Amino acid sequence: MANLLWLQGGACSGNTMSFLNAEEPSACDLVTDFGINVLWQPSLGLELGDDVKAILEKCISGEIKLDIFVFEGTVIDAPNGTGEWNRFCNRPMKEWVKELSDAADFVVAIGDCATWGGIPANAPNPTNSKGLQFLKRDKGGALGAGFTAKSGLPVINIPGCPAHPDWVTQILVAVATGRAGDLTLDEFQRPKTFFSSFTQTGCTRNMHFAYKVSTTAFGQRKGCLFYDLGCRGPMTHSPCNRILWNRQSSKTRAGMPCLGCTEPEFPFFDLAPGTVFKTQTVMGVPKDMPEGVDKKGYIKLTAAAKGAAPAWAEEDIFVV
Amino acid sequence: MSDQSDAAAKARDGYMEKYGQAPADADHATLLKMIEDHFADGLTTQVEPFPETDREFAKILDRLRTMSADQLRDKLVESGWLLEPYGEDQMRCQECMYYLVHRRWCDLPELNLPAEPDWYCRLWRI
Repeated sequence: MANLLWLQGGACSGNTMSFLNAEEPSACDLVTDFGINVLWQPSLGLELGDDVKAILEKCISGEIKLDIFVFEGTVIDAPNGTGEWNRFCNRPMKEWVKELSDAADFVVAIGDCATWGGIPANAPNPTNSKGLQFLKRDKGGALGAGFTAKSGLPVINIPGCPAHPDWVTQILVAVATGRAGDLTLDEFQRPKTFFSSFTQTGCTRNMHFAYKVSTTAFGQRKGCLFYDLGCRGPMTHSPCNRILWNRQSSKTRAGMPCLGCTEPEFPFFDLAPGTVFKTQTVMGVPKDMPEGVDKKGYIKLTAAAKGAAPAWAEEDIFVV
Repeated sequence: MSDQSDAAAKARDGYMEKYGQAPADADHATLLKMIEDHFADGLTTQVEPFPETDREFAKILDRLRTMSADQLRDKLVESGWLLEPYGEDQMRCQECMYYLVHRRWCDLPELNLPAEPDWYCRLWRI
C-alpha cells in the first residue's frame, strides 16, 4: 500500500480532469489493482476543512507515512514572498508544499504549472508563480535546485497542459510498485520513457512534413502544420502521437498545431500577438528549426524535398 | 458601394472585356496569361520591403484579404510578384512552402493563384 496525497496550487484543475480520464491504468485501477491509497485529492477527497488539515499535519509529523506527494499548479509566492495569495487550510500553500515535500518519499509535479510555472508564470508573472523545482528553464523553483525527496530522487516532472492522463497514472504506478529505480529522468527531470521522442513521432502528417507541403488553413487534412501554423511538433518532447489522447487522436492528427506544452518555455514568445498558431520566421526561414537541424541543412532539405515531392502529397488523401 | 467593391467591379469589367472571363472564374491557363500580360504591359510590383518578421508578413496578408479574387493586378502589386527568382539567394516559388509543385499553384489562401517554379513574391517562406 502506497499513500498518495494530491494538492493543487495556482491551478485550473485541468490535470485533475485529465487524471480522472485515465484509461491505462485508470484512476480506479490505481486503488484496486496497484495498492495506491489516495489520502486526499481535491476532486476525490471526502474530507473538508479541519479534517483535511489533520491529514496534512499527520503526513508532516510522520504519523501517516507519505509515500507520494503529487502537486498540481504553481507555487504562488506573492505578495512580497509571503504566498498569502494562495492560502489553504489556514496557511500559505507554499508552506504546506515545502513541509510535505520534505516528508514524502517521492514528489511528483503534474502539469506545466507545477513543473515550471506554465502560463501563470508568464511575464509579468503577477502571482510570482514557480514550479516545484524549475521556473521555466531555470532550476530552483519553490523547493530549490538541490531538493531531493526521501527516496533520493528530485521532483519527478510530468509536464503538459494538461499532462496526458496515462503519463500520470503510469508513473504513479511505477513509483507505488517499487519500480521508481527504473525511471530515468532527462535534464528537466521528465521521465525519459515519455519525453525522449518528439510530438512529431507518429504524426500522420509526417509525409507532408517530409515533402514540404504546408497546411495553410485550419481544418485542412493535407499538409504539415509546422510550416505556417506554428506547430512545434518537431522540437517538442512528448509522446502525444504514440500514446494517443482518449486512445483516439492527437492535436496534430485533428489539425491543431502542437503548442509545445511539455517544454519549459511554454507558452512560447510570451504569447505576444501574432505568435500563437503562426510559425515565426526571419527572412522567410523558421526561427525554430526541427531539433538538430541547422538553417543551411534545412534550406538544402527543402529544395530537395520540393523537387522530389510526389503529386499525392499535395492532395487530401484521407478523402475517398 | 464601398471603395473596395467599386475597385473589384471595375477590375472585373476590365478583365471581362479583354479575356471574356474574370479572374475569379478563370481557369489555370487563363490566369497565367493574365499574370504574364500584366508584366508584359510593364507592371511593377512592391517587391521591397521583404517582410522580415511575422508582424510585417501579417500586415501584407491583411491588405490582401481586403481584395477580391478579381483584383488580380492589385494582388500582384501588393505581394511583390515577379516572373523571375529574386535576391542573392535566388528565392523562387519552387522552394516556397506555399507552392504546390505538381499543381503549379500558390496555395497561400490570400493569393490562391497559378505560378511557375521560377517566379517569386515577397511572401516567400520555407
